[in-house]
Amino acid sequence: MENLQGSMREIVKNLLNEQQVDLVIGYENGTIPLRTSPCFVTKEAEVQKLVWNSWCDLDLTKFLFKPENQNKKVGIIVKGCDARALVVCIAEKQIERNKTFIIGMPCPGILDRKKIEAAIAPKEILEAEVIEDQVIVKGKDFEQTLPKKDYLQTSCLACHYNNPPIYDVLVGGEPIELLTTEDWDAKLSEFEAKSPEERWAYFTTLLRDCIKCYACRNACPLCYCKECFVDQTQPQWVGKTIDLSDIMFYHIMRAFHVAGRCIGCGACTRACPMNIDLRLLSKKLERIVKERYNFEAGLNPEEPPAMGTHKVDDPQEFVTEGN
Amino acid sequence: MTTAEKDSQGEELKTWEPRILAFLCNWCSYAGADLAGISRIQYPPNIRVVRVPCSGRINPFYLIKSLQAGWDGVLVSGCHPGDCHYISGNLVARRRFAILKDIIEFMGIDPGRLNFSWVSAAEGEKFSKVVKEVVEKVKKLGPIEKLIKV
Amino acid sequence: MKEKILLKEQLSKLVEELMNKYTVFAPIKKNEFYIFDKITSPEMIDLEYSNTKIPPKELFFPPAETLFTYTKSGEGIEIVETNNSDENRVILGIRPCDVLSFLLLDKFFNSGKFQDPYYQKRRENTILIGLLCNEPQSTCFCTSTRGSPFSEVGMDISLTDLGEKYLVKSLNIKGDQILEQISVLEHASERDIFDATQLTKEALAMIKNEIQIEDLYNKFEKLFNNDAFWLQFSQKCIGCGSCSYLCPTCHCFDVVDEETPSGGKRIRLWDTCQFPLFTLQGSGYNPRSGGKERIRQRVMHKFSYYPKLLSEIGCVGCGRCIRNCSVNQDIRIILNAAQEIEGG
Repeated sequence: MENLQGSMREIVKNLLNEQQVDLVIGYENGTIPLRTSPCFVTKEAEVQKLVWNSWCDLDLTKFLFKPENQNKKVGIIVKGCDARALVVCIAEKQIERNKTFIIGMPCPGILDRKKIEAAIAPKEILEAEVIEDQVIVKGKDFEQTLPKKDYLQTSCLACHYNNPPIYDVLVGGEPIELLTTEDWDAKLSEFEAKSPEERWAYFTTLLRDCIKCYACRNACPLCYCKECFVDQTQPQWVGKTIDLSDIMFYHIMRAFHVAGRCIGCGACTRACPMNIDLRLLSKKLERIVKERYNFEAGLNPEEPPAMGTHKVDDPQEFVTEGN
Repeated sequence: MTTAEKDSQGEELKTWEPRILAFLCNWCSYAGADLAGISRIQYPPNIRVVRVPCSGRINPFYLIKSLQAGWDGVLVSGCHPGDCHYISGNLVARRRFAILKDIIEFMGIDPGRLNFSWVSAAEGEKFSKVVKEVVEKVKKLGPIEKLIKV
Repeated sequence: MKEKILLKEQLSKLVEELMNKYTVFAPIKKNEFYIFDKITSPEMIDLEYSNTKIPPKELFFPPAETLFTYTKSGEGIEIVETNNSDENRVILGIRPCDVLSFLLLDKFFNSGKFQDPYYQKRRENTILIGLLCNEPQSTCFCTSTRGSPFSEVGMDISLTDLGEKYLVKSLNIKGDQILEQISVLEHASERDIFDATQLTKEALAMIKNEIQIEDLYNKFEKLFNNDAFWLQFSQKCIGCGSCSYLCPTCHCFDVVDEETPSGGKRIRLWDTCQFPLFTLQGSGYNPRSGGKERIRQRVMHKFSYYPKLLSEIGCVGCGRCIRNCSVNQDIRIILNAAQEIEGG
């Protein structure tokens, strides 16, 4: 994975020198171990800051919406999931395809820093290195080696599109395979077979910790509304307390708003300060539109979004006939 | 709880009637409900009607907020596909409703709380049957507890 | 101020004895992180922790608090105040930085003419038993914000972890009164006290962050209109609000009414200046419409306005914002960058 870093930097350097883009958005090393941070490069001298490694978890599509990046030709480093988010935004006419230079990175899966920290806790990790398929973490008085494949992000384990489906250049030229996967379709089916009581218990337990900070919404590349439903006061839809009812209401409605658009990138889970993992819910959202409308978000920028269109013969098995 | 408390709860349940909020589109379903009334067709009095211009007008927030506010069930009814006064409002509603129902039932809300039907202006009889079916369904589910705001 | 010893195996007994008279809050492990929670059984407590995810400000200033309820009828409106701050509480195992955060929150909630009765009552009724830090984290910078890993300021009782036992020190009359009621304490030896002093030195040496904050407010004033300075940081920020929600000294709140036809309640909620809605005016104009204004606000509020107006630094150096930021925004970088600006 890290071997693509050099080619990526070359490509960015050329783009800037040839003035094909005004700005490139990528990743730079974080200030603490296991992290990277968004990096905004406008000059060749800054290109050395850009990195590509197992900690490049953020979905950078979000930054295309920033006012300071509008009206610019922007190059952006995307993994498979990020590229799909970009496709959704292009399909919804929020981002102009021809103003974006897409630097596609084939991705074997990104490490989950929270899982690694939990494995080492309460000790603090002061250094981390990825060598081949091992993660070596070091701290005061300890060093431990962890197998990379046991510490991938949940969204990566459930991923089907780790190679960007859209790009102007694919760094390395070749799609690659995911390091490991889990059968989340099976997990989802197993969950769907449970009773409503069991499922309600699962979600209320999962979401009980939510502090309504809305980091999930802010991190989501598809939550780009200038005024979110949460902030509407006339009328006020969502109660702002942390009562279970208000928490469930918020998550149900955010799920509804990203249904048919969610590409399962996991940005919501990563941003959550309370470590709430929404992968099962996002997987269901993908399944709903696949089964009902044979639609998968983020693959074809020309295809109208599932919730932005309709067909006369849409499934309607739920309609009450009154018999 | 004490036997007396259990008994009084049981009594309450026996006398409990579900409260259903019905969103009816002006051109078809509302007219259909009207026809049922004019034709003196009996149907359970458990519904309260909100008239909307089109089923496509319905913001899913209305439905979830209704459940949160304590309505035991919700019915959305519109024109048959192809007959919408605004051409395709009901088709929009159909997708929206399908997604919403799938999501909340996935998360554990009892199937049957959210209901959707097509009732045309001439279908007074059908309207009464739809209401009967919905009321029976919700009655079996019991008073709403999940999602309700205390 | 006499030192005592509590053997770690006696911690449960101490908590039991405290629970007889007080509601006890202490760190518990939840999922993969720690939070303060009401203790219902002593085994819940886990003091082998660095710091909690949510700061203990939530115990004085909850994320959502009903201020009063009201009912509307033909006769008018009846208001019922909620009085939920009466219980006597002990917070056990709280870190020095978090204790200092309460002193800063006091300046906001308990200052001058307008005293916040909800916060104040809780403060009066709460005993603070602090746990001094043997191993500050790499992101801790309390020594740059007038604190220290072994600061006892604001505590009633302090605990120092000596390995198999805690050195217990009462710091005031309230602390004395509590310790008198505890049966499981032993006398501390000279050796114990010496060991504790050694740990202090080691802990201080572990703090690698040295940030010049004292004179920074002048530089920030000069940087106010320097858009380029703030843009370099705001361009990363996604405005998620995690920093404010998890900050022990952030205290901004929103007040909302939740109404039904027959009445309602007034609720105070955590809010953050990082949300655009924070400064959105009824006219639709937003003076802080961009990320750079908002990030400037947060940084200057803590490191410029507070020092200037209250002679306090509005930060305790706990490092939660650094560890939990979704994009790895680092306040240390911002402060050092400001320090490097010429002039001021």
